[in-house]
Amino acid sequence: MEQSVSEAVARKIEVREFSAFYGKTQALKSVNFAIPEKRITAMIGPSGCGKSTFLRSLNRMNDFIPGFRMEGAALLDGEEIYGPGVNPVLLRQRIGMVFQKPNPFQMSIYENVAYGLRIQGVKAHSLVSDIVEKSLRAAALWDEVKDRLKGSAFSLSGGQQQRLCIARALAVEPEVILLDEPASALDPISTARIEELMQDLKDRYTIAIVTHNMQQAARVSDYTAFFLDGALVEVGETTRIFTNPDDSRTEDYITGRFG
Amino acid sequence: MQGRWAVAEPQRPAKGLTLYRRIRNFVLGSLTGIAFLVAVTPLLAIIYVAYDRGKEALSLSFVTTMPSGFPVGIEGGVLNGIAGSVILIVLASLLSVPVGVWAGLYLWDQGHTRLAGATRLLSDLLLGVPSVIWGVVGYYVFSTNTGFGFHWGFSGLAAGLTLGFIMIPIVTRVTEQALRDVPRSYIEGALALGATRFQVMRDLAIPAAITGIGTGILLGVLNVLGQTAPLVFTNYYNTGIPHSLVGSNGSVGDLAMQIFIYIHEPSKALHVKAMAAALVLTVIVLLLDMGIRLLSWGSRRYARKA
Repeated sequence: MEQSVSEAVARKIEVREFSAFYGKTQALKSVNFAIPEKRITAMIGPSGCGKSTFLRSLNRMNDFIPGFRMEGAALLDGEEIYGPGVNPVLLRQRIGMVFQKPNPFQMSIYENVAYGLRIQGVKAHSLVSDIVEKSLRAAALWDEVKDRLKGSAFSLSGGQQQRLCIARALAVEPEVILLDEPASALDPISTARIEELMQDLKDRYTIAIVTHNMQQAARVSDYTAFFLDGALVEVGETTRIFTNPDDSRTEDYITGRFG
Repeated sequence: MQGRWAVAEPQRPAKGLTLYRRIRNFVLGSLTGIAFLVAVTPLLAIIYVAYDRGKEALSLSFVTTMPSGFPVGIEGGVLNGIAGSVILIVLASLLSVPVGVWAGLYLWDQGHTRLAGATRLLSDLLLGVPSVIWGVVGYYVFSTNTGFGFHWGFSGLAAGLTLGFIMIPIVTRVTEQALRDVPRSYIEGALALGATRFQVMRDLAIPAAITGIGTGILLGVLNVLGQTAPLVFTNYYNTGIPHSLVGSNGSVGDLAMQIFIYIHEPSKALHVKAMAAALVLTVIVLLLDMGIRLLSWGSRRYARKA
């Protein structure tokens, strides 16, 4: 069953018959799914439904988990993500990720954002500081930190730290940004700022967000995918999924009957 | 405000702790206090006894002069022991720090593999080998020509390497643990930026674990400082400072060995010197410990708040 989003939008990422296993446990069951370019796609579903596994499979972060195995195909711009010639390190420079808990490095604010460039061997000071400023501005953090770039990243509030992590991901100029419950550890005001930020970023980036918060999915995303027990139940335009879902299980979930 | 909660008020239990909880608090608090006292008493006792019995011999010249007189040590100080202990620590560290830290990094990075499991098991087994066994094996391997034909005799090099092998599993263990204490989310953050495993190790894992790794090295050094049994077989003792670290004149002095020998001599004056030397050794250990703590404060500039 090929579930597609609006045909007018280019498919940035596409998975076909994608299954994932942790040892003998199957976490994803033959998922067919496309993530459209320069749109926000939300993935919702109850805990353990496989939405985080799906997200982490896209930039091969699951490679580090012993016993992880996948079947099927995952494509970025039509190229195999799990192809034999693909270097996961280079892949992750194209598909950035922001995690549930803010995880800044034990470095200054400046060095946190510059780190992605440093590991690519960018040395030119003027170039680095330009990109650091640009990234911090893009993450709506510049005005708050411009006077203390040399200060510790841990002196920032939780919400600021999360925006710093977004700036850090933006600095390597990825094409896709994966957000794994980016606001679940934040207060409502910080959450609102992250959501605004996502709207600003979607002109330039393809964004995929996993969220536990259905209101958040409804507010920020253009497309919503509903996962249940490792399977993709339904995907479509967010307004339709939330007002007129095809599948009764989707309706049960979004109306709060389970999950 | 008051009114809002007034409804619930009558159902609440009496204010303050119940008698049972107060007694339990007191008993458990006292046990904690006693445990603390039991833990620190030996240190205070060592310092007190060593000072009390050794104070006649203590002076600045005690740490700056070589032993002299007859029997040797009746006059003079323990400079030979201090110098020898430093030489042994340096030799042991030169062997154990690179090997132990590297092994710790390997166990952290490849910890789930079978080879790593075997490495961890063998390393832990080595931790339990009695030091006298290390001494005998060190004797066969390094001092005589029966093992690998080294034939270094009773020498600083033979002892230093033997002590180094004792240190390796300690450094390995603590290095791996220190790296494991670095939050996984932190490592993933760097991997998700497209860092290689080596870059993650160099830029994030090691800096975050450096205090722990330093503590591990210090633990190993402190262990080595107090070792006597291995030295009996690989180095014994020297009343001076040798020009060479191998061969028949290659033995070094050593504080722990010096204390052991002095205590065995039927001489009151040497017993006093032994206790003074014990105090010197204890102070060196304390200084090393404080040194590593100061170093670790220095590295906490960007550390996360506790």
